Amino acid sequence: MSVHSPAASPDVGGRARFAMPSTPRPPSSASADRPVRGRLELCVSVRGGRSVASRQFHEGALRVLRPHYLDQSGQVCYVIVNPGGAFLGADLFVVDVEVEAGADLLLTTQSATKVYRTPGSFAEQRMHVRLGEGARLELLPDQLIAYREASYRQNSRISLHPTSSLVMAEVVTPGWSPDGGVFRYEELRLRNEIHVEIGEEPRLLVLDNLLIRPPLGDVTGLGFMEGFSHLGSLVVVDPRVDQRLADELHHVAEEHGAYTGVSLTNSVGGTTGLVLRSLSNSTDDLQNLLGSLTSVLRERWYGQGPVNLRKY
Amino acid sequence: MSATYQLALQQLTDSALPTGAFAHSLGFEGYIERGLVGDAVTFSTWLHAFLAQQLTYSDGLAVRFLYEGVDVGLLDSVLSSQLLAREVREVSLKMGGRLLEIGGEVFPSAELDHYRDLVREGDAVGHQPLAFGVIARSLGVPFEEALAAYLFATVTSLTQNAVRAIPLGQNAGQRVLRDAHDAVAAAVEVVAQLCWDDFGAVSPGLEISQMRHERQRARMFMS
Repeated sequence: MSVHSPAASPDVGGRARFAMPSTPRPPSSASADRPVRGRLELCVSVRGGRSVASRQFHEGALRVLRPHYLDQSGQVCYVIVNPGGAFLGADLFVVDVEVEAGADLLLTTQSATKVYRTPGSFAEQRMHVRLGEGARLELLPDQLIAYREASYRQNSRISLHPTSSLVMAEVVTPGWSPDGGVFRYEELRLRNEIHVEIGEEPRLLVLDNLLIRPPLGDVTGLGFMEGFSHLGSLVVVDPRVDQRLADELHHVAEEHGAYTGVSLTNSVGGTTGLVLRSLSNSTDDLQNLLGSLTSVLRERWYGQGPVNLRKY
Repeated sequence: MSATYQLALQQLTDSALPTGAFAHSLGFEGYIERGLVGDAVTFSTWLHAFLAQQLTYSDGLAVRFLYEGVDVGLLDSVLSSQLLAREVREVSLKMGGRLLEIGGEVFPSAELDHYRDLVREGDAVGHQPLAFGVIARSLGVPFEEALAAYLFATVTSLTQNAVRAIPLGQNAGQRVLRDAHDAVAAAVEVVAQLCWDDFGAVSPGLEISQMRHERQRARMFMS
């Protein structure tokens, strides 16, 4: 987490004011090799029974919309916006999120992540997330669309407390090309590392690594995409995750008719991960499935209704 | 005899090595159930996908990083967190545990003792490719030879299991194995070119079949 960002104070309307840093930022490892196109830092804490941004910073082509409260739970919802609309070659986006003890954040995007041509290079998003004791993050971005000749790397490093609750869902489309062909992009890398803070040093709980490189061979067939075009993924880490929950989510997925697998990770420090992968032929099918699955968790654990962002 | 480790490597990669490989399909049983694998050609398709994905990006890279001197405890923990399908993770531990035990009896070394100690003290769990890598390295087997032998041993036991499960004729099984030679050589080359960020990148299709196996009703295999 950066310690150099200035505090942004929420004004009476709940809208955060943004300020540029007053001192030049030291070059970090994230920016040493390539220019940062957009940076976003968000720290959420509990104030008076609900979650608010206690620190917020943005620069370049990344910002967040004003916070929403979708229900009475106190969970704050932030929507990440990329005003440029897309990732281009060599673009680096850096997102730092901290959810402090007991705070509750729903983080989503305004629209699909689009990666355009990145000839000879790649676009990249680096995300660092830290969840405090009893903190909760629902990370529910829109789908990823890689255009013809695009390369994209998304590296997320998440560290959490054994009492934290993490739900992250993602849909990867077969991309877009002018002639309607699919899987015409160069490379997609989506790599999530989830560490549990226990004892002296954090322990790795989940390494969720997806790598699709269509030029190297057929990715559509048996043993890879199995003839499907779209991939959905759900990762949950929570001390309440158990085999019964995995079985239940499996049944929900079966009712949706998507080709789905779900399994539990190891347990570390009393918390356990659940990973679900699903193949289908449309973004909508997978968004519906992932919506149903996250709704089960929201209802069961927090008494909340389904996420309704009304963003379209 | 070309090298002093030759017979040791043969013993270590013999399909009769009692690590329990006969009990695992590592996901292909699900393809049989879905009617997608049912003969030598379709099994070969699965086998080549498995070799190019799981055995390359997970097992193969684990052996390479071990040979390059990456800490075995670190690799052990990364393997535990990247094998997302529970049954496959358990197979790696089960077979790894047997290999550590057998290795301790017949190919003892300081490096192997170190890994066994980590496991005994709960600082590691003992994964099959790492147990193999530690032993092969201690015997002086060069990396590429060790990796090719490991990959082909895995391919061989999976094919023997397919011969029983599909079933395939014995000669068809041998043709599948012969056809896998080039793929094993290619996998060794790919493993040499990958980087740390590639470690554990396994295709969604293979993972889903491995996960679904947990709930498969009629089954011959433990994974």
